[in-house]
Amino acid sequence: MTERTVRRLLDATPADPDAEARAWAIVQAAYAAREPVPRRTHMRAVLVLAAVAGAIAAAAFSPPGRAVVHAVRESIGIAGAQPALFRLPSPGRVLVSGPGGAWVVAADGSKRRLGDYRDAAWSPHALYVLASSATTVAALEPNGTVHWTLERPDIRFARWGGSRTDSRVSYLSRGRLHIVGGDGVGDVALGKAAPVAPVWQPGARHVLAYVTVGGRVTVIDGDDHRVRFSAVPRSEPRALAWSPDGRMLVLAARTRIVVYNVETSHSQAFPVAGVSAVAFAPDGTLTLLRRRTVLELRNGVLGTLFTAPDSLAGLAWSPDGRWLLTALPAADQWIFLQRGSGRRVLAVSHLRAQFGGLPVLDGWVPGA
Amino acid sequence: MRDAQHGSSVAFEQLFRRHWPRAYRAALLVVGDAAAAEDIAQESFLAAVRALDRFDRRRPFGPWLHRIVVNRAIDWSRARSLRRELAADHAPEPRAPEHDAPELAHGLAAGLAELAPEHRAVIVLRYLLDYTPGEIAALLDVPRGTVNSRLRRGLDRLETSLREELS
Repeated sequence: MTERTVRRLLDATPADPDAEARAWAIVQAAYAAREPVPRRTHMRAVLVLAAVAGAIAAAAFSPPGRAVVHAVRESIGIAGAQPALFRLPSPGRVLVSGPGGAWVVAADGSKRRLGDYRDAAWSPHALYVLASSATTVAALEPNGTVHWTLERPDIRFARWGGSRTDSRVSYLSRGRLHIVGGDGVGDVALGKAAPVAPVWQPGARHVLAYVTVGGRVTVIDGDDHRVRFSAVPRSEPRALAWSPDGRMLVLAARTRIVVYNVETSHSQAFPVAGVSAVAFAPDGTLTLLRRRTVLELRNGVLGTLFTAPDSLAGLAWSPDGRWLLTALPAADQWIFLQRGSGRRVLAVSHLRAQFGGLPVLDGWVPGA
Repeated sequence: MRDAQHGSSVAFEQLFRRHWPRAYRAALLVVGDAAAAEDIAQESFLAAVRALDRFDRRRPFGPWLHRIVVNRAIDWSRARSLRRELAADHAPEPRAPEHDAPELAHGLAAGLAELAPEHRAVIVLRYLLDYTPGEIAALLDVPRGTVNSRLRRGLDRLETSLREELS
């Protein structure tokens, strides 16, 4: 073989123009954000997406980043935090689950334990709770009344989607995706899935997004189980979320956030590494949790919403979109972050004692 | 480069357009996966943006970028081979170049697939990006003799693969 032949063959490797266009959009944004980074004057630096990795590090370790950390320590210190959850700062009900079981927390701070469940989720209109243990999926009313149960081995990630009159439940059993009717009837086992909670598209259609064991985001019809969308595999998927209008699907993977439009099959990847949770605010703003930092993505621009002194866990928006709830496990605290002009930070301590273990945030929904 | 450092978006776009195709191709030929290649090339340019102010203008930009691209591509390929046992069905195959005799393109892809990522990187640096063995040794931080042996072994493997394809 001549070297010339090798050169010719290598030169013929296709260069995808779409890939170049996508990359240019991100690289250009990073370049545009390179100069105007007034970190010393703005605590809440607004950062362009593509520069986020460096910007996050800067926010945490630069003088203003440290200032944020100090401010947070002061605001959520022992003296500042409430010793117990007396009330929620905004109307609605919060569902949590963990070692101490599943609980519904009312706006006045009262709590009802639903049972010895380790995972829970609201039904689409928050009329019911879907709770699960290792071997049981149960549909409950928020007062604890059980409507139906389903026994299966190694259950994880039970989720409920659909309309008030026709809904579907999905869950994983031994790593395999199952879909069953909202009345607990008609259980069907589908393919293997990655250990990422599947998510139902908002709305009456039964459309489910999950991640295959190969890391491929897949959207299927929950009734005929046909694949509607299948994405390029991504390594180490961690979280999925639909936008409130059901138009966008977001995947958090190890090194990036990928936003899919499943109708057009268009996707856009953003180099935001280490995101463990994603949540959409009611107005469609995407919120990301990256270790100690809460980030907010608005109109293609990423900003630091909050930086804590230690790793955070979980995100839940209040129904009115005014408060964001996250947990600070190292301090045994919940942190309520006010959005908008007030930007207050409220903290509540001693969660393990109140819930029998540190609970996971499963959702904040309307209702009393 | 100077204009790009001083904030000229036009100059920076010229820099990007000039270097993107080869950076992407190099990554694609090493990792054999289009999505990963896009990520690697994109992240390499982002690294360039972050380091733009510190970049020594007396040195050429291409080798600096290619060093990042190829080393990231090697790292990605190694990580993938470690994960293969878990997801063997989804391990992408190297993509065959287009616009050429199909059997040659397939032979090249098959030959590259049989090489270790470090060997693929040397082939790509030599025959796609036109670096000398001495320059490749410096870019990959390996002895020049290692580069030469990898080149020889790589060409032999590709030749065998192409012969099998043509026969």
